[in-house]
Amino acid sequence: MTGCYDFCGHYEWTFEWLRQLGGHELVTAYWDEAINRDAQVHAHTLITAKGFEGMKEYWGPTLADEGAVSHRTVTDTVFRIDMHECPSKGFLLRNGLQQYADYCDHCMGWIGPMMKDAGFVVDHQHNHCGQCWWEMRRAEDATAPSGPGELSGAEDVRLRPGWVGDAPMDTYQRATKPDDKTSA
Amino acid sequence: MTTSAAPLPYTDTKPHGHADFYFAINATFRFILTRFGLDTLRRYWRDMGTNYHKPVSERWLQGGLPAVAAHWRAFFEAEPGAEVEVIEASDEVRLEVRTCPMIKHLREHQREIVPCLCQHCYYVSEAMAAPAGLTVRISGGNGACTQRFIRQSQNEPGQQLDQIKEAA
Repeated sequence: MTGCYDFCGHYEWTFEWLRQLGGHELVTAYWDEAINRDAQVHAHTLITAKGFEGMKEYWGPTLADEGAVSHRTVTDTVFRIDMHECPSKGFLLRNGLQQYADYCDHCMGWIGPMMKDAGFVVDHQHNHCGQCWWEMRRAEDATAPSGPGELSGAEDVRLRPGWVGDAPMDTYQRATKPDDKTSA
Repeated sequence: MTTSAAPLPYTDTKPHGHADFYFAINATFRFILTRFGLDTLRRYWRDMGTNYHKPVSERWLQGGLPAVAAHWRAFFEAEPGAEVEVIEASDEVRLEVRTCPMIKHLREHQREIVPCLCQHCYYVSEAMAAPAGLTVRISGGNGACTQRFIRQSQNEPGQQLDQIKEAA
């Protein structure tokens, strides 16, 4: 049986299997069609219908169930997540698993299209070490992403020692696609 | 033969997996099946067994049937909602799956289950077992089944896929 305990391991392995079968386009289609529109249809339904309230209802229990160490900041205009210990990237790092070039892209791969459907855009950074942050705003809101500590105070992941390390930092600005990023 | 102290090659800090990941496993099978057909889906399952699960095969090769039993006991202990008895005999390890956790969770959440889902247990496990000189036979499915891990040298008749039920 294919289990959920080591799901992140075979999920990551699947990205590379699909890439070898059909290239990058097949992987991004998989994140949208299989994950966003099928596996995560409960999240898609909640967030497209209820916006910020749906984000609270989805990510509240889900991040807890997955064992994430994270902080959530919600105002009338932005939904922010500071991920201090990503449970899935952490699983891969602890077990030495890497087949696909950038596992972290899968989150924007399904969340990005979902946010587009719901009328939101995403500012996001991930450091490939299990830390990232997200800010979701309505697409018509041109507000720039917050500065470090501005929205989530001391819980801002960007204030962690080691936030910027040797691994490249991927940055998304007002994005809804996994390829809408710059790496530095 | 010795059994590895850690029966599962990949471990998490949590004792159990997150059951909603079953949604993604089912959706992955549907995506491959819809786009490429059953032969490609079976290749995906075999490749997963051969490649991703290679460390399990190595444990089974080293530890034999006791390692197979230890693996499945630890595996189902970590799968939420599983009710599985692992029976270890001299010539086989038999899994009596009374409640398949994946089928249970998919049903509880009214998810459309890929009809051939239960075949994946055969194709993945057979690919895991073969390098260790073992083979698997499955009967039942759709929420409860029997899986037997036996030595290839026992020359039992091959798996009949019609012995594996469609899931719904």
